[in-house]
Amino acid sequence: MNPVIEYRAVCKNYGSFVALRDVSFSVSKGEVVCLIGPSGSGKSTLLRCTNGLEQISGGAILLDGAPLPQTRAGMRAVRQRMGMVFQNFELFPHRSVFANVMMGPLTVLRMDHAAARARAEALLDKVGLADKAASMPAALSGGQQQRVAIARALAMEPAVMLFDEPTSALDPETIGEVLSVMKRLADEGMTMIVVTHEMTFARRVADRVVVFERGGVLLEQGPPRQIFDAPLMERTRDFLSHLDWSG
Amino acid sequence: MNFEWSIIWRSREALLEGTLTTVLLSVVTMTIAIAGGMLLALMRLSRWRALSASSAAFVEFFRNLPLILVVYWAFYVLPELTGWQLDAFSTGLVALSLNVSAYNAETFRAGIMSIRKGQGEAALTLGMSEVQAMWHVVLPQAVRRVVPVLASTWISLFKDTSLVSVIGVSELAHVSLEIRAQSFRVLEMLTAMAAIYWALGYPQAKLVDWINRRYGHTE
Amino acid sequence: MFDWDLSALEESWRFLLGGVGVTLGLSALTVATSLTLGIAVGVLRCYAGAWLRVPLTFYVDSMRAIPVLVVLVWMYFAFPLLTGVSAGPFWAALAALTVHVAAYVAEIVRAGIESVRPGQIRAALALGMSQPQLVMQVVLPQALVRMLPAIGSVVSVTIKDTAIAATIAVPEFMKRAETVAGQSYQPVQVYTAALVVYFLILFPTTRLIDRIHARVAHLGRS
Repeated sequence: MNPVIEYRAVCKNYGSFVALRDVSFSVSKGEVVCLIGPSGSGKSTLLRCTNGLEQISGGAILLDGAPLPQTRAGMRAVRQRMGMVFQNFELFPHRSVFANVMMGPLTVLRMDHAAARARAEALLDKVGLADKAASMPAALSGGQQQRVAIARALAMEPAVMLFDEPTSALDPETIGEVLSVMKRLADEGMTMIVVTHEMTFARRVADRVVVFERGGVLLEQGPPRQIFDAPLMERTRDFLSHLDWSG
Repeated sequence: MNFEWSIIWRSREALLEGTLTTVLLSVVTMTIAIAGGMLLALMRLSRWRALSASSAAFVEFFRNLPLILVVYWAFYVLPELTGWQLDAFSTGLVALSLNVSAYNAETFRAGIMSIRKGQGEAALTLGMSEVQAMWHVVLPQAVRRVVPVLASTWISLFKDTSLVSVIGVSELAHVSLEIRAQSFRVLEMLTAMAAIYWALGYPQAKLVDWINRRYGHTE
Repeated sequence: MFDWDLSALEESWRFLLGGVGVTLGLSALTVATSLTLGIAVGVLRCYAGAWLRVPLTFYVDSMRAIPVLVVLVWMYFAFPLLTGVSAGPFWAALAALTVHVAAYVAEIVRAGIESVRPGQIRAALALGMSQPQLVMQVVLPQALVRMLPAIGSVVSVTIKDTAIAATIAVPEFMKRAETVAGQSYQPVQVYTAALVVYFLILFPTTRLIDRIHARVAHLGRS
């Protein structure tokens, strides 16, 4: 099966600082890939490069077999096919929940109002927040805001969803509601790349886990059972055991 | 010393006209300067070096000049250099607009810069162009945040319109000073002028305080 | 094309330069008196009883409402008529500018004082400090550093405001430029030169204050 996204020897430097070094792997349609590793290992940078918020310094990122375009207009078209969810939600605080979800379809897809409305209603229902449509984002809990952010990204009907530490800024009691929305999305067959520190989620939902280490190096990858129960690399074992201590 | 306060009542029509001119000048200047300041702020934040440098030069230049000198300059020099023959009101309007646009540009720039980078990125991620992200996401938030500063600038502008009296624009200060010169009722007219400015400006200052409390502390 | 005949400037540059001296002198004096008065008013507005707070607030808000030109003209022409005391344009300008700028300083001081975290005050009280000790040793030092950028703008506002003193014939730079422009019939050259001179005074001043602030900003954090 052809990969939806393919990373070929991706490098990213900030001056002399190396954020990503020769990273290669691919993501197939319908696959859920979790990126794990210590902070500063380049996982988030890789996501930001994937939808063009940062430019890669070397190698190539392919979407459906074609390298990411270099032009602004081309990159815009690509971004419309990738949804992104941020650590800090980044809902638009000046617009209602409903308007947040409709904004993409209305301004980017130029969808007519009734259709955008119907789509937003369906998505808010899907993330369990139909009753919050009229609220302003500030009135919502962190978990609710993140679920709105997921609905907002889904409103563009993306082929791939990118999650950048979606639960890191949440209170412990609201993490579960976000993860269960993500799990449902995975069960429906959405292609997902998830940067996360939630190892239970990675173990239960991921089809594949990719482990990064400091310096932006891909350490190893494999199905969750292999990574968590029988990692090939000693350093993976180290990383996971330290997590257990802290958690 | 005998004073004759009735001069103020007898001059009421002229004073009222002067007051209206002051208000009109303030309103028109602010309208121009909000558009001008926004344009300058967007130029300043543009990727194109030439645009951003020329905006920075304009803003720094006019923020570092006494307004009264800009008024004189617009009156004596601008017509010579450009060939435009403007009436006093328009000349004053030009000088005030240059000055207030420069201040508003800094206000808007600070407002835009204060919006988290992630907001613009979230908009880009939805597939918006940079112009759409600025227009639909960043600017609406920035404008809300700068309302208190714009309100203070309005108060300053309202007072600064008195400076165009030096080129003979018949606003409140000029009218008052003229009546003083004709009637020799110096203390009466100068006090009346101060009192009228106070009566107009004091509630505005209080309103600005209210706006600051209302909008100043939100995220 | 405009003929840039610079003879007026060549003839009068000494006279104009003397005006720059008056501008700077009047500015320095005004800043000194305004800071003194303004800090006093600002502190008293925060800590004095209502009998003093109310009139001080009224004074500050009135100055926010009345143009500096109006204060200058009133101080020079009307004040002597009312009191019989007449001191010449320079001193009238100093008095008027001080009354005006001090109100502005007082607002800055009040905002600075209010920005000091309540925890700092509780900590000082916990050490057994008296109210004046607390203000002088804990609140004001932090507030003043934090206020420095705003104080910097007081300096540049004052220099700009002294130009308005030209309207009551203080022989500062603006007034002298006006005189030379009128007598020489070369307003274009003279006013353009004045523009450049004021910019050369004000731009480095604001830059310098920003620089100083960047260097001491850490002292104001708590």
